Amino acid sequence: MSETIFQISHLKKYYEINLGLFKAPKIVKAVDDVSFEVKKGEILSIVGESGCGKSTTAKMILKIEEPTAGKILFEGADITKLRGNDLTEYRKKVQIIFQDPYSSLNPRWKVGQIIGEPLKLNSDMSKAQIKERVLYLMDKVGMLPEWYDRYPHQFSGGQRQRIGIARALALNPEIIICDEPVSALDVSIQAQVLNLLLDLQEEFNLTYIFISHDLSVVNHISDRIVVMYFGSIVEMKSAQELFENPEHAYTQKLLSAIPKITL
Amino acid sequence: MNLLEVKNLKTFFYSDEGVNKAVNDVSFEIPSGKTVCIVGESGSGKSITAMSIMQLIDQPGKIEGGEIILEGTNLLKLSDSQMRKVRGRDVAMIFQEPMTSLNPSYTVGYQIDEALRLHHKELNKKQRFDKVVEALDLVGIPDPVEKYGEYPFKLSGGQRQRVMIAIAMACRPKLLIADEPTTALDVTIQAQVLDLMKKLQEETGTSILFITHDLGVVYQIADEVVVMYRGHIVEKASAQELFRDPRHPYTQALLHSIPTPGITPRKSRLDTVDDTVDYLSFPKEIR
Repeated sequence: MSETIFQISHLKKYYEINLGLFKAPKIVKAVDDVSFEVKKGEILSIVGESGCGKSTTAKMILKIEEPTAGKILFEGADITKLRGNDLTEYRKKVQIIFQDPYSSLNPRWKVGQIIGEPLKLNSDMSKAQIKERVLYLMDKVGMLPEWYDRYPHQFSGGQRQRIGIARALALNPEIIICDEPVSALDVSIQAQVLNLLLDLQEEFNLTYIFISHDLSVVNHISDRIVVMYFGSIVEMKSAQELFENPEHAYTQKLLSAIPKITL
Repeated sequence: MNLLEVKNLKTFFYSDEGVNKAVNDVSFEIPSGKTVCIVGESGSGKSITAMSIMQLIDQPGKIEGGEIILEGTNLLKLSDSQMRKVRGRDVAMIFQEPMTSLNPSYTVGYQIDEALRLHHKELNKKQRFDKVVEALDLVGIPDPVEKYGEYPFKLSGGQRQRVMIAIAMACRPKLLIADEPTTALDVTIQAQVLDLMKKLQEETGTSILFITHDLGVVYQIADEVVVMYRGHIVEKASAQELFRDPRHPYTQALLHSIPTPGITPRKSRLDTVDDTVDYLSFPKEIR
């Protein structure tokens, strides 16, 4: 296929939990020896239950958490060693859409400010240029220009998620990490947001790392799927193969637990 | 035989901006020993319908009309103290968030025992203890005697929801109202909790009113389905009929908006519920 954008090898994240002054700390292996790669232009999903390490993996890719061991190579460069300008450049290229559109937007800011913030911080655009770009982004995610001066509380969950998506797109990223972007939404709205994500991916040639516990959604949207269980990868395949031929016992259990509608 | 009949229920909320008709002329029945699901999106009035049956509607909301008939008695005609006897004993409720609906400062056993203390005054301490252990055992909590003294924080989400169910089932209610009981749980745990509810229904004959937005869950658990949209019922049907042949445009849109593995082509654009369509303009309460 196409070129590899992320090469993740033997990634580990351990947390120490202090149990008391004279006790040895307990080690929680949130992510334990995880290796996978992400190819340019694909949608790679990471699935698993709460606590399986999928979000911790995403946080390490975003450099919100430092790995205990292992390497994350982005276009050949180790991101743990990035400093200064290189780090800023990296952060521009990798953006995130959060799960909860209610708590991930500042309630005191107007929509225009929220979407324009990354541009204000990371580019030398003038105010007018920023506004123009924000309006362009709002149009791309299906929002009306007159909503520029509204506040997040004036929108429904689905519309707020669109604001989050526009903000993630602002700096022309290469990769967007979607951390459960539709799990807080109603099914009908979920469909709208999934459609939007697919449209945007085609238009801007984006790569998505899609984190979810909803296997129907994951199956629909992904090229490849990584199944995580207790910090480790138990299976990694194309979406079609995974659904037709799940090999690991945990994947089978997960698939059989999806409420299926068979007509 | 119908255990519960809801007739022309109206629950409105009043604010400075006007009246929000959250539940507007809703009628449906719950047959004995069956599971009825109310599905709908946020704001469709499904939870308010459940809360109205329990009469847990607080200011600025008010039940403005209709009847809620449980085995021949109109619950809306009961006094507050009579209604308190119905809650927990005849009709019990479990909620979405098992993390927040248990009291963190009391043991699990104490919280199950509470329902028995209130509604079964004839039982002594020893008998109640046995009943609590039995309830914990019934919902599949391992080591029920030991777990009696545990605090909720020590339990996982699935176990907490099991405890909630044990509290609700302690007095063997005729009707169990479950408001999105599995939404906060992982899929594998969700499957366990749904199985548990089905098993309990078989053993005790309790009717279940199940509120959810997840059509997959509806397919698994429902005998009858009520589809709500903006305070109205748009379609009522048996689960089989609804999934095989959805008649109302809103139900159709809802069903087509979920991707079905193996049926919906991967990465195809999904059908959506169209904001510009007024689904209430179509005939309501089909079937």
